[in-house]
Amino acid sequence: MSLELDIRLPLARFTLEVGTRLDGASVAVMGRSGSGKTSLLEVLAGLRRGARGRVVLEGRVLLDSAARSDVPPEQRRMGYVPQDALLFPHLTAEQNVRFGARPGRASRVDEAVELLELAPLLRRYPATLSGGEKQRVALARALATDPALLLLDEPLAALDVALKERVLPYLLRVRDEARVPMLYVTHQLGEARVLAREALLLEQGQVRAAGPAAEVLGAAARGLLAGEGEGEENILEGVLERPEEGGLRLRVRGGLSLWVPDSPALAPGTRAAYAVPAADILLSIQPLTGVSARNVLTGTVVDVEPVATGEDAATVEVAGVRWVVWLTSASVRELGVVPGARVSLAVKTSACRRLR
Amino acid sequence: MEGVTALVSFTLWVAALATLLILPPGLAVAYALARWDGPGKGVVETLLTLPLVLPPTAVGLVLLELLGRNGPLGRVLDAWGVEVVFTPKAVVLASAVMAFPLLVRSARSGFEEVDPRLVAVARTLGASRTRAFFRVTLPLAWRGVLVGALLAFSRALGEFGATVLVAGNIPGRTQTLSLAIFQRTQLGRDAEALRLAGVAALLAFVAVFATEAVTRRRGRRVRA
Repeated sequence: MSLELDIRLPLARFTLEVGTRLDGASVAVMGRSGSGKTSLLEVLAGLRRGARGRVVLEGRVLLDSAARSDVPPEQRRMGYVPQDALLFPHLTAEQNVRFGARPGRASRVDEAVELLELAPLLRRYPATLSGGEKQRVALARALATDPALLLLDEPLAALDVALKERVLPYLLRVRDEARVPMLYVTHQLGEARVLAREALLLEQGQVRAAGPAAEVLGAAARGLLAGEGEGEENILEGVLERPEEGGLRLRVRGGLSLWVPDSPALAPGTRAAYAVPAADILLSIQPLTGVSARNVLTGTVVDVEPVATGEDAATVEVAGVRWVVWLTSASVRELGVVPGARVSLAVKTSACRRLR
Repeated sequence: MEGVTALVSFTLWVAALATLLILPPGLAVAYALARWDGPGKGVVETLLTLPLVLPPTAVGLVLLELLGRNGPLGRVLDAWGVEVVFTPKAVVLASAVMAFPLLVRSARSGFEEVDPRLVAVARTLGASRTRAFFRVTLPLAWRGVLVGALLAFSRALGEFGATVLVAGNIPGRTQTLSLAIFQRTQLGRDAEALRLAGVAALLAFVAVFATEAVTRRRGRRVRA
């Protein structure tokens, strides 16, 4: 994907000003509530009048206020999924998905239905769907239009949402299987890290940072989001395996394997994503033995920074995978958790919660 | 009773035609009022409500002055060989004008209930403005529109004041049920007038009952 942005849009409290170039197939847009994230998506979708500047997607000029060109939303090919899904209440889930299907590309509808596992929901009306189901239908509806770019506005407070309601696993499938570029507004650092190749940080309508996700989603992002009141999580995606000694493990890239709660319904070979709250991990500066937690990992501290009054986040690299652990600042001081230190992490099996 | 059948069918015919006639402009105005929020909106709204509160005879008089042979509109129409005043056309027109505000008010509140963001989403899904209107806005506002059309139809069924001025009360030509009731009482044929009043009451009952039924079943499926 190549998306060039140079836009200005006066809002009630500040002016949204975004000038950047994004090339990653998936871009996370982060910032506090009211920092202009949703407005940015609306400008891209062509739904905001008064936006000035340029928007160029894959060489196609969508907005160029200097040349008085402003492609109407119906010709932009943006797959917009708003925060509250906004399904058409008078249509069934299936009719919603088919709403924007382009003639000659009907197969997109079937692909979207399969990818988002909507078959059992197709005959239902939006009023009878749960929040997560609505999001999935809205995502399928956008995918069925064969969009050039997906614009996703994540529902607020994803952490409060029941695990099976979270859309993230489906977004991973959209990214890897449908291979549609996406711009994803999220409040969850963990989600952004696992989903995005690039990230854009907004503060009061201004770009605070933009670039590769690994760089942008570190300290600056956490500092910016601090105070939003949500905990952080580590999200791990991988393939399930059943070792001979029994139990269920998630094989993550880099050779790391994690014991996860067993369930007979889960077949080996399945792709899965798990969330581990950063506050549920135990950190030790000595090798851990004789603990009940089945997952004991050894790694190196990359950095430590405060997240809230009295709490710090330590980033620990284990076999190429970065883990975030929240611990009290007092522990950090007493244990001497500093960059470069070798530490062990203990993760209880039950702390690994499967998404979906 | 043959005369009664003809009267009833003429009255229904006039009311239906008047309703159909105001439907396109009525919906356009209702939609504009629901979505547009510019200067002068209050004045436009007030002007549109006037026919509801003015004496119908005053509205009829204005129409007569406009459409008469020497009126500004009448002259133009006369040049085309179209005669309106004291013809069935005038009956339809008078009913249409009197019913217009009722249609607009109800349809407008129907349109106002449709979340404009749904229309925005429809546009991003490739729908033009027109398609978004017919696939999203209208289906979601249909109760308001239908109630408006039924109210307009009911109003047209009973129209008297404006009609009598601009169309006269010509039996077999411009006479509707309400005009006929007036004429029969003037002639002292009270029993006949009473029978016609009964028929009018029956028609009104059906129309209002239908309106109520539509209103009561509001949003059974659409709302959670």
